[in-house]
Amino acid sequence: MNPETFQKLDRVIHEAGRMAIMSLLAANAEMSFTEIRDTLNMTDGNLAMHIRALQQAGYVGVTKSFQDKRPRTTCSLTSSGRKAFEKYIETLAEIVRQSQG
Amino acid sequence: MALCYKASMKPDQAEQNLQVIRTLMERSTLYRRALGPIMFVTGLLGALAALIGFYSRLSFVPYWIGVSIIILVVAFVLVRRQALTDREPVWSPPTKRVAQALLPALLSGALLTYVCLGEGLQEPRLFVVGWMMLYGCALHAAGFFAPQGIRRLGWLFIVGAIACACISIPPNVTMGLSFGGFHLAYGIYLFATKKP
Repeated sequence: MNPETFQKLDRVIHEAGRMAIMSLLAANAEMSFTEIRDTLNMTDGNLAMHIRALQQAGYVGVTKSFQDKRPRTTCSLTSSGRKAFEKYIETLAEIVRQSQG
Repeated sequence: MALCYKASMKPDQAEQNLQVIRTLMERSTLYRRALGPIMFVTGLLGALAALIGFYSRLSFVPYWIGVSIIILVVAFVLVRRQALTDREPVWSPPTKRVAQALLPALLSGALLTYVCLGEGLQEPRLFVVGWMMLYGCALHAAGFFAPQGIRRLGWLFIVGAIACACISIPPNVTMGLSFGGFHLAYGIYLFATKKP
């Protein structure tokens, strides 16, 4: 197996929590903070920490707004986030292919 | 650090990660909002309406059209209430997908009812079979964007419609058993299996 393939794995995404968040955002145009938290059974603090890391990497965009006078935080993938996630999946698939043949 | 990182990734782990990603992407697009309360309240109202219909002399078709409108409004209120509680838009992508899947069969049912009434057809059994069949199709279509139980519920309505076409049961009893009983049973199942 080519060890260089492992090096291609994006370290920001390659963490269980962040990978899960990226998966949800890849399937939905945008998701609210509570929606992500409830789907992944994460605590507010844990989710906020991961979102911040993804935001700093430029993978996730965060929008704060008000709905019915209540604050609402929505997250979505940026174009570079989508590209990075696609590349991450390609790398995983490559690792699987290499291990099989 | 880089070496530890490299060593921590095994091929079977890569496969597991891909599976997790696939599952999460599928699960996140499913409609779940207020499903339990909707099923429970729909079942309760359906059973109650069947009981009233059975003991009263109300005209069958207009009566059940009225009941279905009330139930639709109640279901929408429940969806809206949960959306507001969760600080989410009412028309979220999963809600839109489910609504789009439900619409063709439900509209066909409404149109057929209108045409049949226009033609002077008043046989309640005919309407019950048609409604159950098309409602089952609507649920089955929506089931592709909702938990799997919805598709099974759809099949239950379709099989129920076939049974209803073969066996003679008072129409209000059939409505109570299907639109009341099936929904109520599924609502109770959802509450019983709900994760804390």
